[in-house]
Amino acid sequence: MNEHSRVLERDKLNIAEPPSDVDLRLPVQVPREPYPIETLTPDARQQTRAVGQRATRPDGRLHGLGQTKYIDDLSFPGMLYARIKRAGIASARIKRIDTSAAEAMPGVMAVLTGKEIPTNSFGPTFQDQPVLADPIVRHAGDGVAAVAALTEQIANEALDKIVVEYEPLPAVLDPVAAMREDAPKVHAPDSNIYATKVIRKGDIEKGFAESDHIFEGRYSTQMIEHVSLEPHAAIADWDANGRLTIWATIGRITLARSDIARTLKLPMSRIRIVGTIVGGNFGGKNEISQEPALALLSKKTGRPVKGVFTRGEEFTATTTRHPIIMDYKTGVTKKGRILARQIRLVLDGGAYCSWSATTLGKACILSPGPYKIDNVVAEAFVVYTNKTMTGAMRGFGAPQVCFAYESQMDDIAKALKLDPLEIRMLNAFDEGSSSPTGQVLHSVVVKESLRKAAERFGWEPRS
Amino acid sequence: MKAFGYVMAKDVGHAVALLAEHGAKAKILAGGTDLLVELKHAVHNPEIIVDVSRLAEIKDIAVRDDGLHIGALATHSDIMSSPVIRGMFPALVNAAHSIGAMQTRNLGTLGGNLVTCVPSMDSGPALIALEASVTVASSAGQRRMPLADLFVGPRKTSLKPGDLLVDIVIPKESLDKPAAFEKFGLRKGQALALVNAAAAFFIDKGNFLKPRIALGAVAPTVIRAPKAEAYLGGRKISAEAMAEAGRIAATEAKPISDFRASADYRRDLIAVLVKRALANAQAVATTKQKELVA
Amino acid sequence: MTDVTMTVNGQTRSASVPPETTLLQLLREHFNLTGAKLGCDVGDCGACTVIVDGQAVNSCLMLAGQADGRQILTIEGLASRNHLHTIQKTFENSGALQCGFCGPGVLMSAKALLDENLNPSTREIRDALSGNLCRCTGYTKMIEAVQDAARLLREEPRTQITHARTEVTAS
Repeated sequence: MNEHSRVLERDKLNIAEPPSDVDLRLPVQVPREPYPIETLTPDARQQTRAVGQRATRPDGRLHGLGQTKYIDDLSFPGMLYARIKRAGIASARIKRIDTSAAEAMPGVMAVLTGKEIPTNSFGPTFQDQPVLADPIVRHAGDGVAAVAALTEQIANEALDKIVVEYEPLPAVLDPVAAMREDAPKVHAPDSNIYATKVIRKGDIEKGFAESDHIFEGRYSTQMIEHVSLEPHAAIADWDANGRLTIWATIGRITLARSDIARTLKLPMSRIRIVGTIVGGNFGGKNEISQEPALALLSKKTGRPVKGVFTRGEEFTATTTRHPIIMDYKTGVTKKGRILARQIRLVLDGGAYCSWSATTLGKACILSPGPYKIDNVVAEAFVVYTNKTMTGAMRGFGAPQVCFAYESQMDDIAKALKLDPLEIRMLNAFDEGSSSPTGQVLHSVVVKESLRKAAERFGWEPRS
Repeated sequence: MKAFGYVMAKDVGHAVALLAEHGAKAKILAGGTDLLVELKHAVHNPEIIVDVSRLAEIKDIAVRDDGLHIGALATHSDIMSSPVIRGMFPALVNAAHSIGAMQTRNLGTLGGNLVTCVPSMDSGPALIALEASVTVASSAGQRRMPLADLFVGPRKTSLKPGDLLVDIVIPKESLDKPAAFEKFGLRKGQALALVNAAAAFFIDKGNFLKPRIALGAVAPTVIRAPKAEAYLGGRKISAEAMAEAGRIAATEAKPISDFRASADYRRDLIAVLVKRALANAQAVATTKQKELVA
Repeated sequence: MTDVTMTVNGQTRSASVPPETTLLQLLREHFNLTGAKLGCDVGDCGACTVIVDGQAVNSCLMLAGQADGRQILTIEGLASRNHLHTIQKTFENSGALQCGFCGPGVLMSAKALLDENLNPSTREIRDALSGNLCRCTGYTKMIEAVQDAARLLREEPRTQITHARTEVTAS
């Protein structure tokens, strides 16, 4: 560190002359001249040359200037700030909510509970998630009431004044335990297993019978939050004509519109969703969350309402990556050729479905790995637990099963004293191989990729 | 954050007068990197914030008759860039560097890090190994006490409402004592220590003289490892002795298991980090000797 | 209320705000400078990084009152007179800004680093950016961008660099 330059900076501290009153009244606009923003329209003739070219993002300039407007950078006259009270209990029945003290606070403009939501459920696959829990709380991050106030500070204080009485209910936190008949039901009376997928190929018993060795292993992964740098945020404006405009950090605005229309019992033609620039999604912003509550708060107050999740809410009240418990049983020949693989996946689905069914399918299809295996059984279950809901995240279940099958490949290679690269080369898909679901594969470059990667990082058998 | 009052102290006298006036209803704002987080999470709900961050008189770093004085308001960046500290105690530079990230080091102060008193604090071990003391001002005047007496437990110091930590002093007996600081976190930058350790000793004819070992994140506060110190005292300097001291130190700590690491893992880390700190302190001594010759 | 007067991107501004207002809130809500972002609100993510008296700080961890009388430089003050700052150019060219939410903070950390050290090692760059979290781009391209910026700034005559800064701070 250069102390000298720091001193120089500090010397400039003193404000030489007090600026004139006229100056002080100006907004801070720097520079006063226009920013260097060009129209970055790609030249049509250049487009075919895009492949292999170094491209810059068309929005990169604005990002670098700090001029990109994300939701939290927008505000409207009279705008209110919303906050949601979270249950903080994994499984309970709400006996009573008293919002009177919050409503009486100066600056609090409206309070909303689950009872006031026209259709209190949503979800991209099953509509099993309430906007605000009523009366059953299924995970600690469930919202139980929402407040709109003049400032965020008042809204936060109002949350503290909302009294909620809970009757605690038994909770189920372990997905395997949740599959048992006698487990507490997260969505009573339905079973906790809410989606399954089974893939069968060849004759698994015959495959195991012909195998020289059988390896069994359990692999599991943890819950992961997307942690997009921009928290979930939205602004809702329900105007006097009954038209609703929502600015939202959502990747799928048409899906959001139909979900919001359903929860509000409002025709889709009355709803306009403005998809703003999203500060990171990774699958975590593919569905609605607080938007219907903000819309109703806007309707109640006649003013635009903004809601921005705290970093804590991002972890407890938005979707996450599925933890999966993965049981692998694999039969191989002495030389390491895989003859049969049986897989059982239990996905911890959290309290609500979200994109679990999609994740389940993809995880199951990919679970045997990119290997030629004639005899496969893959069964996958996704189960409700009283935990933060799991949903879409980069890869939809593919990274979890990859961790499992590649870990087992290493385990097998080690036991058979084979080179980890060789056992993969022996089993990997070729051009024209068929996947466990019978899809004939084209443009297959698994072996070439492995060989090239091994070459580049200087792989040499260690044993 | 909840509403509170705010007053900026003009000098130390003004600050302690304000603190005496408001007592437990006041919180002191220095760097704010811990306090603001606590205020946002409503850990404290003070009526008034006494901002001492402009008190230049307790920001200086200078050697005086009784030792090296580091003003409580010196930021971690100030410590990293101070020529005096860089020359005398690379261990303190390393410790300051391992705190937070550039942005938090530019704001956070040494005094603030000490009085927040989390067990994993990175500024504590090296100062404890160098037997630093602290000066506390209050409306009753100033008092000096060993730094170790400041630490009571996790997030708990012996300071009373009205007290203001103003100065940290490394005694003249410890000046130029070769010392080193080692930390292990889950990430190289901006991570809390799973374990940190500092070691300091003089070299007397190839033997350890006045060895001091301090450990962080393995007990309710930063602790010394007296048995390991006793083992080293007067012993011939060797890699084996350093490794053995590490093993002894591991038995003296009471680490906990939490989501960052298990107690066993932390004990293993202590053995390694103490060994490394001792070796690096020896390396510091060698460098200093070379500089003296040159 | 706390009365504050400070120089923001070269212009002196005053405000009267509740004492619990952070510098970030002051900039975003009172001065309409929304370049610095609220990411975590506890000083972990660095999206709120601005430069105060030449030093990068988390503006979410500073009260507005602490910034009274100081010089604040935000991302909005980096470019001037139809002239992008070199760091902005290299970040754009390296594709180091994807969703862009962490960008303003990263750029300010990079600026603070290059103001003190025009020849940083990869390690020093990593160290300077360790308080800025990114989830899309990753750090490789950012480090490249800072290295490119350092090289360009070294090549530029020194006067021009200071020119860019005084441009902003004068007025």
